[in-house]
Amino acid sequence: MTMIETTGRLRGLLRGLSLACAGLALAATLQGAVAEEVTTIRVLNWEPGGTKYWTELVAAFEKANPDVKVELETVPFDRYPEVQGPYITTKSGPDVMENNAGLELFDRRVAYEPLPADVLDEAKAQLITYSGGCLGFDTTKTCYGLPFGYQGNVMYYNKAVLKEAGLDPANPPKTWDEMDAACAKVKAIGKTCLALGLSGIFPAYWDFPEIARNYLTEEDMRAMLSGGLPWTDPKMVNVLKGLASITEKGWANASAPSITMLPDGADIFQSGNAAFAGTIISDAVNWSAFGAALGDENVGAMRWPTLVADAPLAQSFSGIESSVFGVTSWSSKKEAAFKFVKFMASTENATLLSTVAGGISLNKNVDPASLPKSEALSQILEIIKKPTLHSGVLLSGQEADALARGWQEVALGRLTVDDWTARMQAALEASPSKR
Amino acid sequence: MVAASPAAAPPRVRKTSRKRPLMRRELLIGILFVLPGLALAILFKLVPLIRGFVLSLYETRGFEDPTFAGLANYRRMIADPAVADSFRNALVAFATLPVWIVLPLVLAFLIFQRSPGWTIFRAAFFLPYMIAPIVVGIMFRQILAPEGPLNALLTAVGLAPLAIEWLNGPTSALLSLTAVALWSFFGLGVLTYLSGLATLSEEVLEAARLDGAGFWRMLVSIVIPLLKPVIGYWTVLCTSGILIWMFPLIYALTRGGPGSATVLPEYLVFTTTFQFLDRGTGAAIGMALFVFVALVSALVVKRMYAEGKAKAR
Repeated sequence: MTMIETTGRLRGLLRGLSLACAGLALAATLQGAVAEEVTTIRVLNWEPGGTKYWTELVAAFEKANPDVKVELETVPFDRYPEVQGPYITTKSGPDVMENNAGLELFDRRVAYEPLPADVLDEAKAQLITYSGGCLGFDTTKTCYGLPFGYQGNVMYYNKAVLKEAGLDPANPPKTWDEMDAACAKVKAIGKTCLALGLSGIFPAYWDFPEIARNYLTEEDMRAMLSGGLPWTDPKMVNVLKGLASITEKGWANASAPSITMLPDGADIFQSGNAAFAGTIISDAVNWSAFGAALGDENVGAMRWPTLVADAPLAQSFSGIESSVFGVTSWSSKKEAAFKFVKFMASTENATLLSTVAGGISLNKNVDPASLPKSEALSQILEIIKKPTLHSGVLLSGQEADALARGWQEVALGRLTVDDWTARMQAALEASPSKR
Repeated sequence: MVAASPAAAPPRVRKTSRKRPLMRRELLIGILFVLPGLALAILFKLVPLIRGFVLSLYETRGFEDPTFAGLANYRRMIADPAVADSFRNALVAFATLPVWIVLPLVLAFLIFQRSPGWTIFRAAFFLPYMIAPIVVGIMFRQILAPEGPLNALLTAVGLAPLAIEWLNGPTSALLSLTAVALWSFFGLGVLTYLSGLATLSEEVLEAARLDGAGFWRMLVSIVIPLLKPVIGYWTVLCTSGILIWMFPLIYALTRGGPGSATVLPEYLVFTTTFQFLDRGTGAAIGMALFVFVALVSALVVKRMYAEGKAKAR
């Protein structure tokens, strides 16, 4: 090997090395550029629909939007206000947040960015309704978030318990009197008739609307929202009397005044120790969860029995868009965050909600064949065909609290309905959102 | 005398000038040691307190920007029966303080005397303190339910009249809450008292034994007088425990119910601020609670300090 050959080989080696280095540098630059393009957004949520659904939802979103990464901050539903409150007061934290549609969202609207036109167009194209995310349930006003599922109240019943009590599972009670008679039979076999928990917000959200439908019209409910319907109004007093009668008649478990409906009250029903439970159609403690615990064949769903059979809304369903997702006003990643909000309303997410979480979607383009087969679900799909406003979400925090505490004391015989009414009126007058 | 004075003065001046830099250095070192603690106290105690007071002077509507309202929140707070109820509940809970002080002391002295099974009891008593209060609350919500295991046990052993609805009665719910808190907290008291007992002179205890003093006589006449500073310390801890550390238990056990039977002021601050979104009134209640706890604690601390000084002399 000559000197010239050796020098030539060395030059070739150096050239090769230089090319390799340049290639590596280019790859690193490209990778850096790609990494820079990925935006991470933080989503504060209470995981409606369960962990599995949320894992699949995030995976589907990230697959459809490779430039956005989602970081979840999941908080239990009953601890949500104490976590969200400081974020809002300090105007910092997540990019996307969840709130219940209605007053809860309206109260927090300063924390949300109004939905831009392209997101609203998507909502119109995809959703049956999204008014619960708009001020005053009016889509012509500013909207702050998009819903994804349909939510509302039904009463579930355990067919096996009804049968054991000598009742016909195919014909559950339809009126208050029939319910009273059924409860007498259920109690005779040593079981609780109606699983109930009166702590927390559940009485306001899950029980109050079902009695209110017997006495209020939709106009009355809108007046409630604006603080224009006092609790001293005979209609409102009748609602309280209806609630009081549930515990006065002895339908509920003795522990009702000191437990919450979720999880304690629902546990009584899920363990097969109660005939009825008034809960919700989506998210948790729904037909899917009860079916898994008791067997689909044993779970039925019905409207709450009526107190006033010919009331205009007696045969309606207290429905509300489930929780809504909106972009925080302080987010520096609004574009990516709105992509997530749009995805929540998409057909793809709707299918996931139904198939994975057993939820009922608000999306009008979802394939009905993708829904699970369940008798309770079929009954629910019939019930929700005649919706009305959900009066529970129209109550202020003060009213919801006074409703639960008052009912606890009424159930224990320590408070009259008149005094309860006075407390509710005081709570209404103390509500900042209704002043 | 007059002539001697100037001659004697210079050494004194030199001595003082030598001492001054030393004192300054000591002062500087002292300040440096105190400074981090002082900074933390200002940052995390004083500043939030002042901010809380300022917020209590503002009216807040939901999450909208607050507006200055003077003493309106305090007037609203005074007129609100729920606030009065919560402070009344706090006083009832506080009335159980003697139990919080005496029970761990008796148990600690039993362990100290090597009573049968003392090693097991020492560990068992401390165990509840290791369980998170929120878990304790959930656990006892099941145990104290009307059809729960406690009532089942009472009924099974022929004590059915005692099987009451623990969490449903206005007084029984508050006392149940306090009892659960005591169950959760007393292990720390036993450990605190055991630390104090370990410092007692064995000769004094032995002498009392030889004089024929029994368990109670020794406890009352020897242990309590000698342990007064430790008892004072434990009393302050319990006072704050009862008045401002019950939140997780209330939250998990009763949510303040039935009605407002177990709402203590700290829980009311939480519901007013986060549930009712009324931060101004929440801050006003918080300030009232601060004053209440400060007054009660000051009395206890003053007593403890007096005992400490008396012992030092």
